[in-house]
Amino acid sequence: MLKPMSCKLLVIGAGPGGYVCAIRAGQLGIDTVVVEALRPGGTCLNIGCIPSKALIHAAEAFEAAKAAAEANNPLGISASAPVLNLAKTVEWKDGIVARLTGGVAGLMKKAGVKYVSGTARFENGETVIVATDMGEQEIHAENIVIATGSVPVEIPSLPFGDRIISSKEALKLSEPPEKLVVVGGGYIGLELGTAYAKLGSQVTVVEAAPRILPLYDAELSAPVARRLAKLGVEVLTSTKALGLSPDGASLRVESEETARSLPADKILVAVGRKPHFEGLGLEELAIDMEGRHIRVDDRCRTAMRGIYAIGDATGEPMLAHRAMAQGEMVAEIVAGHKRAWDKQAIPAVCFTDPEIVSVGLGPEEAKASGREVKTAFFPFAANGRAMTLQSEEGFVRVVARADNHLILGIQAVGAGVSELASGFGLALEMGARLEDLAATIHAHPTMGEAVPEAALRALGKALHI
Amino acid sequence: MSETYDVVFIGGGPGGYVGAIKAAQLGLKVACVEGRGALGGTCLNVGCIPSKALLHASHLAHEAETNFAAMGLNAGPLSVDVAKMLGFKESVIKSNTQGIEFLFKKNKVAYVKGWGSIAAPGSVKVKGEDGSETTLAAKNIVIATGSESTPLKGVTVDEKRVVTSTGALELPAVPKRLVVIGAGVIGLELGSVWKRLGSEVTVVEFLDHVTPGMDGEIQKQFQRSLEKQGIKFILGAAVSGVDASGADLKVNYTLRKDSSTASLDADVVLLAVGRRPYVSGLGLEAVGVALDERGRVKTDGHGRTNVPGIWAIGDVIAGPMLAHKAEEEGVSVAETLAGQKGHVNYDVIPGVIYTDPEVATVGKTEEQLKQEGRAYKVGKFAYVANGRAKAILATEGFVKVLADATTDRILGVHILGPQAGETIHEYCVAMEFGAAAEDVARTCHAHPTLSEALREAAMAAAFGKPIHS
Ligand SMILES: Cc1cc2nc3c(=O)[nH]c(=O)nc-3n(C[C@H](O)[C@H](O)[C@H](O)COP(=O)(O)OP(=O)(O)OC[C@H]3O[C@@H](n4cnc5c(N)ncnc54)[C@H](O)[C@@H]3O)c2cc1C
Ligand SMILES: Cc1cc2nc3c(=O)[nH]c(=O)nc-3n(C[C@H](O)[C@H](O)[C@H](O)COP(=O)(O)OP(=O)(O)OC[C@H]3O[C@@H](n4cnc5c(N)ncnc54)[C@H](O)[C@@H]3O)c2cc1C
Repeated sequence: MLKPMSCKLLVIGAGPGGYVCAIRAGQLGIDTVVVEALRPGGTCLNIGCIPSKALIHAAEAFEAAKAAAEANNPLGISASAPVLNLAKTVEWKDGIVARLTGGVAGLMKKAGVKYVSGTARFENGETVIVATDMGEQEIHAENIVIATGSVPVEIPSLPFGDRIISSKEALKLSEPPEKLVVVGGGYIGLELGTAYAKLGSQVTVVEAAPRILPLYDAELSAPVARRLAKLGVEVLTSTKALGLSPDGASLRVESEETARSLPADKILVAVGRKPHFEGLGLEELAIDMEGRHIRVDDRCRTAMRGIYAIGDATGEPMLAHRAMAQGEMVAEIVAGHKRAWDKQAIPAVCFTDPEIVSVGLGPEEAKASGREVKTAFFPFAANGRAMTLQSEEGFVRVVARADNHLILGIQAVGAGVSELASGFGLALEMGARLEDLAATIHAHPTMGEAVPEAALRALGKALHI
Repeated sequence: MSETYDVVFIGGGPGGYVGAIKAAQLGLKVACVEGRGALGGTCLNVGCIPSKALLHASHLAHEAETNFAAMGLNAGPLSVDVAKMLGFKESVIKSNTQGIEFLFKKNKVAYVKGWGSIAAPGSVKVKGEDGSETTLAAKNIVIATGSESTPLKGVTVDEKRVVTSTGALELPAVPKRLVVIGAGVIGLELGSVWKRLGSEVTVVEFLDHVTPGMDGEIQKQFQRSLEKQGIKFILGAAVSGVDASGADLKVNYTLRKDSSTASLDADVVLLAVGRRPYVSGLGLEAVGVALDERGRVKTDGHGRTNVPGIWAIGDVIAGPMLAHKAEEEGVSVAETLAGQKGHVNYDVIPGVIYTDPEVATVGKTEEQLKQEGRAYKVGKFAYVANGRAKAILATEGFVKVLADATTDRILGVHILGPQAGETIHEYCVAMEFGAAAEDVARTCHAHPTLSEALREAAMAAAFGKPIHS
């Protein structure tokens, strides 16, 4: 038994929610301890956002080199057909992860945060026991933040193991599986499925809903579906994964019309994530749940005084930047600042090919809220920069109130649009109207020029279409 | 003289063609006179678009050389087929310029082919290719004749061996040694293209730093990063002439610090010392349109010249020579002519350099703020601490936000880094709203994106500390 510790703020989990909360608290002079069972950085840095984007980038580069090796490539740069060494790619990715997680540990230290390595369990609302390598560590805290994140949802008939993998294993394969079946056509499944298709796997996606990316509207997901088809990815919608075939080498699937068996070297199950509370001892607390996640108010307070929850533990949208923003806010609240969750916009980004971003309300959501709306899109096919980049697929779309032109949402699909998302978010936060976006000078030639054009089009007429 | 136009634009570049479309959309009867045989001006034909097409086409060479091995990709040596690459560029130009012809038809702008001159206020004379002459009656005339490459004493351009940007966009083969005179945006972009394709590139610049007018810190780091790619710089050097008599070109220059002279051998020399307004043949003197000391058409800040009914926009007037500035002025004049209140906010015009990494700036530089004596604070954030930059092997550079010391209002933003040209727009929107650094700092930025670095710099400015450094 180690000597008990006490602190003003204890953060459980050092993912993007937890580590940002701890750093900000440390910066504000709060005596802070963070407990982490695995490695700093959480899902996001270790097995999520960052490693997946590294793999996606490598796959894109490989695809570009392959295109250059083809006789009919228009650019005039050619090379012999590229050779992939996935083990080396994974090593490169691991190097990035190591630098980032090391960096996060350094930042926490710099901010004066104490780091305890081990698994935390609630004893009561003020006390946590951490199982560390050196025995149990008791920690008392005035404020406790639950930032324990999420884990992949398992399909009972397809338990993880052997050839059935989650996104975590998919990020560390030593070679591309010859045949990869992805169960789940959400963003995680499609991001990784696309990467492997580019790296040479034969990929099939199985999705129970009638179309892929059911959380985005059909206009946004259509370009992604078209690109998947071009990459040779077979997409089976309205299809359910049942289980393995008797010999264990295929996945049995079923739709209304047919039942099939899909041969698979690997089956990536990506059907969603659920909050992670295993072994945390939540039953010792008097907090309210909402389905699988913890219910919080606009200050991320749970029903129990002094206990906060942030990030994936608080449910959808399960996004790293939401977790970080909540973490920052809670740190400031604990420091006595007046803060509440008043974000107008949390961008959602899909790093598929092409990328999708959505901020605020889509056309249907806006209409469903009972307002009269104006909506318009501007296609990248009419954008000079897109032509020079050979990326003419996609568009920017604005959704605004018909009466006063207040912008309710902005979406885009296209190459590199993930980097337009912040501008969209800022416009919504500032309460911009169509006229404001239309009148902001955007540099030429950029993909961003599609934004004022879409606004102009909603106002009546765009200049370049 | 059959019909009277509400407005005739002379020049079909981004200023003229956009102004013409906007004016037509607002119900005016519009003509646009263009002499080069294609719409789109410098920008679409020999400027922004073709240069970016070549930068894109050569980007893969850069990526393959610097980043592939690290990612476990082996692509073997690359070969370059310049003719094919130029073919790609031509196809991009063509679809762009034809697109504008289509837009003219759609918006009912009369496209008058030929060189225009102003016979008198209200009257534009057009000389067609076949020598025919027509006269257009116009209630208003807008001069949108753009700019041309500035010549340099002792340097005779033949567009084959001694070229301007126009010739540099269609060199038939990769020159072994390319000397660029002038370290401005155009010289550095095109220097980068040919460097990536295999040229040895040396840039000779009169001043002691690259990209005149930019924020000093950006200038320094930008130069360093280009040097790392193998581009050589000779700064503080006045080029006295290019000797083209031998097989090798000789670029003679004098170092300003000690007046010593030296020379460089080259296969191709790119003259890129700036651009100057183009007004020749317009007959401005006769109608009394005043020019300023640098030969630019003088305006009142809203496009009006000193002669009623004659307006001017774009590169031909004062201000940054940028396509989007020209476009905005075209829109503004069109709106004014249609009875609205046209306006251009000259404080928020972004500028981009499409090198690797990119450079993007908007608003005041630190040097300008010092000179104005304005109290400011600085927030900085480096891309090495950004996850997305790491994942795409593009960690060079930083974001610098300048904000008012007391009000926190954003005054300037300067970025050297990946996709700076796209990410900077967030700050353009913010500055249009007179936002404070805290507004950007409190806006949720998607993870993992390069844009997060822009927010961290805002946090550094607003709170004194970013999270991730
Ligand atoms: C493949 C993949 C790609 C993704 N891509 C993106 C993307 O591009 N953009 C995006 O915004 N989001 C993305 N996400 C989602 C993102 O990773 C999560 O939303 C984010 O990590 C949530 O942060 P968090 O801090 O709530 O939890 P987590 O990151 O899950 O961190 C929780 C931490 O708590 C620790 N922990 C749990 N229980 C205990 C305990 N009892 N004691 C001690 N420590 C404990 C865990 O070990 C973990 O390190 C992706 C996810 C995956 C799987
Ligand atoms: C290599 C290069 C790269 C560039 N890159 C960028 C960039 O990335 N971003 C950016 O913003 N800017 C860039 N620029 C600058 C940009 O091209 C100019 O700022 C822009 O074209 C100015 O528009 P304009 O309409 O004023 O003039 P111009 O585009 O120069 O158009 C003027 C037109 O008028 C015509 N004309 C002239 N006189 C007459 C006459 N008497 N009768 C009829 N027609 C006439 C000309 O033929 C020409 O087509 C670049 C320039 C160059 C050279």
